[in-house]
Amino acid sequence: MHRVSRPNLSGVLINAAALVLVLSYALPYIYLLMTSIKPAADVQQIPPSFFPAVISFENFREVLQSSTLPKAFINSLTVAVLTTALSLMVAVPAAYVATQYRRRITTFFLLFALVTRMVPSVSLGVPLFQLLKSMGLLDTLPGLVLAHTSAAVPLALLLMSAFFEGVPKELEEAARMDGCTRFEAFRKIILPIMTGGIAVTALFTFITSWNEFLYALLLTSESTKTAPIVIAEYNSVYGLAWGAMTAAAVLYSLPVIIVTLALQKQIVGGLTFGAVKG
Amino acid sequence: MSDEDRFVLCMLAPAVAILGLLVAYPVGLLIFDSFFKVETITPHIREWVGLQNYIDALTSKRVAESALRTLQYSVFALFFEFTFGFCAALLFSAMVGQSRWHRTIFALPLMVPPIVAGLLWRFLLVGNIGILNYGLVQLGLISDPNEIAWLSSEDIVIYSVSFADIWLTTSFVALVSYAGLTNIPKDLLEAARIDGANALKRFWHVTLPLMRPVIAVVVIVRGVDAAKTFDLIWIQTQGGPRHASEVFSMNIYQRMVRFGDLGEASASGTLFLLVMMVLAGIAYWKIWRPVHA
Repeated sequence: MHRVSRPNLSGVLINAAALVLVLSYALPYIYLLMTSIKPAADVQQIPPSFFPAVISFENFREVLQSSTLPKAFINSLTVAVLTTALSLMVAVPAAYVATQYRRRITTFFLLFALVTRMVPSVSLGVPLFQLLKSMGLLDTLPGLVLAHTSAAVPLALLLMSAFFEGVPKELEEAARMDGCTRFEAFRKIILPIMTGGIAVTALFTFITSWNEFLYALLLTSESTKTAPIVIAEYNSVYGLAWGAMTAAAVLYSLPVIIVTLALQKQIVGGLTFGAVKG
Repeated sequence: MSDEDRFVLCMLAPAVAILGLLVAYPVGLLIFDSFFKVETITPHIREWVGLQNYIDALTSKRVAESALRTLQYSVFALFFEFTFGFCAALLFSAMVGQSRWHRTIFALPLMVPPIVAGLLWRFLLVGNIGILNYGLVQLGLISDPNEIAWLSSEDIVIYSVSFADIWLTTSFVALVSYAGLTNIPKDLLEAARIDGANALKRFWHVTLPLMRPVIAVVVIVRGVDAAKTFDLIWIQTQGGPRHASEVFSMNIYQRMVRFGDLGEASASGTLFLLVMMVLAGIAYWKIWRPVHA
């Protein structure tokens, strides 16, 4: 370590404490990665070891060749993509007028979205079950998309409102001077400069749907199960197949971690922004 | 109606329709159902029972216990998330610009799906093969790896299941607090230092009061989330052993799915919603309004 300034005691202590803290938070996930590449038999050895004695991809082969997990991943992906598309389509225009055309109805609307974020999923899940059943959408992917959209739209609204707040009203006015209608100004001038904010919002809505568990548990069975449901079932159906379960958990979580790490700067901004605003 | 009003309504309409169909209408249905005796197997048989479902829910021992557990879980998780997260933020800001990698790695759990965090912590805590107890033996804190039965002891399970929650969301607290700390004007702290205030006094009289709004946001956002928790606990214990980790949301789920009692589940769901609305109200008065005032 090259330290330019002279090393003082408190500086060393702070660095050491930060290192211990960061390592202790990273260790559990590293242990998950390590366990997933152990041979299935070694996963449940007593006493457990942190590092694998031999590296094996047996657990990954097992879950990828199973009849359930690949299908569940496709279901999860389909639902998350459709949820994201639907949520952005309705939330982006609404967030725009809610921030640029402030009036009683738009303030009330944003407040409603904020309050919606406080509704426990289980309270909404009970009547959504009946609603989807009466629409014939119970146990279908479009049904689950609607359920996830109920949670994703308020999130997208609050995030997009935070992003639109930085857009000056003069931008639309200038476009209208040039002969655009209000809608054209929104579509041709405003949307193109908002791609960064829209991308972050899209990622957040995608992750909301990808991670969602309770609605999927309540509203799907057999052929429409999503990944978290199938992974959770390794608990009961196959006894305690820890090896397969860790491999499935890695496959399910690692892509999201890599994408978010790659976009880290924007995301942390969006996250804290969204939290403080709503 | 002016051209401008028409534009606002057109842009707002799809979102209003979606939230109306998928949030407002279901909430109405939830409240409506809470006054009937309805079963999921035969939903067409409805019998008006007035407030009976509410009386049953409010006098049920199991409901009261699950509500108490929700409170225990939320307070315990929130206390440690906040303590660890805030300390982490103070450490990172004390490192002045050298904490970028630390913060990146520290943010890792934030991206882990709750279901994976739950499974992972079950694997760390589970009897016989849970590595945490072996680690504690190595550190000399306990003598036998089977000494603490984290997930199978009824007395401690409600706290054990919150470890996953603490691990998962400490970094959220840390990141939000860190953002708040970096916004504190440096000259204010410098002025306090020149006036002879030591580090502890500067923290107590300058940093903490300025961080008040950030702390309020974190406590309310995380508190509401912790109270709603379902997946994290479900995956670790399914509410067991013998309901000892059954929180309120899980109790509602069980009534609905295992017992098929839609009416009672709706009454409990409505009560849950009301409590959360009160919390949302506090959030509105304390946070939203100052921001937009």
